[in-house]
Amino acid sequence: MPVIPPRLVVPVGLLRTLAQPQPRPLITISRRLQSTHAHSRSTNTPNYLESADGLISDLTLRKHRKELTPRKFDADGNEVDPYKGGPSAIDKAVHIFFFTEIIRGMWIVLEQYFRPPYTIMYPFEKGPLSPRFRGEHALRRYPSGEERCIACKLCEAICPAQAITIESEARLDGSRRTTKYDIDMTKCIYCGFCQEACPVDAIVETQNQEFSTETREELLYNKEKLLANGDRAEAEIAANLRSDHVYR
Amino acid sequence: MIGPLLNCRASSIGGSPQRAVTCDRDVMPSLQRYLRSIYRVGFRAWWRQLNYIGDAKSGRFVGADQFGNKYFENYNAEEEVPGRQRWVDLAQHHYHASQVPPEWHSWISHIRKDPPTEDPVMQASKQPWQLPWTENLTGTRGAYRPYNTAAPKIKAWEPASAPRA
Repeated sequence: MPVIPPRLVVPVGLLRTLAQPQPRPLITISRRLQSTHAHSRSTNTPNYLESADGLISDLTLRKHRKELTPRKFDADGNEVDPYKGGPSAIDKAVHIFFFTEIIRGMWIVLEQYFRPPYTIMYPFEKGPLSPRFRGEHALRRYPSGEERCIACKLCEAICPAQAITIESEARLDGSRRTTKYDIDMTKCIYCGFCQEACPVDAIVETQNQEFSTETREELLYNKEKLLANGDRAEAEIAANLRSDHVYR
Repeated sequence: MIGPLLNCRASSIGGSPQRAVTCDRDVMPSLQRYLRSIYRVGFRAWWRQLNYIGDAKSGRFVGADQFGNKYFENYNAEEEVPGRQRWVDLAQHHYHASQVPPEWHSWISHIRKDPPTEDPVMQASKQPWQLPWTENLTGTRGAYRPYNTAAPKIKAWEPASAPRA
């Protein structure tokens, strides 16, 4: 079994330190005793702000930003502690060792729990809508109960998505009415051109936006469905048109 | 920027010069508001609110519709934030947003200022031939199914032979 040489037992760095001790300058130690700073700096700081051509680069400022910290000295030449009015070491130690930051953070979390959120709880509270909001379509009636649509097909012509299909016939009393008024709600882009084009306010877009369906075919609205929409929401439609008619 | 949103106001009350502007985030004591709402509505209504709205809210009872949904509002800026000032207590357990009839929908969506029970325009707009409101019936047997409202244009040929002599 080989014997370990003694020079390997002692750490090399420690051995080198003991062998060649660095001579400490006495001036540094005395200044450290006088100053309240834990570190020692030279009193004559070079002024890096003044270059030969008067130009200062950001890199220079960034490199020497620690040297640019103003140092203040009193009449005796001793450095003044800029942190004199700050928290004491005991205060800092209490906050560090008792984890008060964690407790203060948890208190903020507790406050947030009871703070009313800005989230609108949707089915129970609804965000504001305009009377011009364009939602589900409806066909309206006159107050007498007569349907308004006269099958002029202006909405069908203006529809940019070509979602409207109209067929018309003459009724027994001679008036022209639609026999087919289909809107493909999957094609519709809800631009509102149809209600702008309508000369008799027959096709309107109601404020209803909660007409989502489970199947695609339920969105292929026919005339009966559109008339039923209008018959259900007539009060809201008329009130909205009345509140908005002064701007049209 | 955030000042009008939070209803900030300059205050010299209390004589603290460091905090010249007080916001509702500071003014509104949330726990106090929460407990106050519980005190106002009672434990039973609070438990119902926790099951549905998820927050303790108290306010003025505005009215109820034909389905039994109850509508409330509270415009006290220290209790409700903007956007949450009107709410509905839906009657059904399986609630859906479309259970609100259109007249009340325009009130709860802040389209109209007054509830339909007090709004003269809304009452005058109501027609005798109106259908009762139904909620969105998709997924049920009452769901809408499209059909053709016009007569078919193409008819199958039905061969008919002339009777022989």
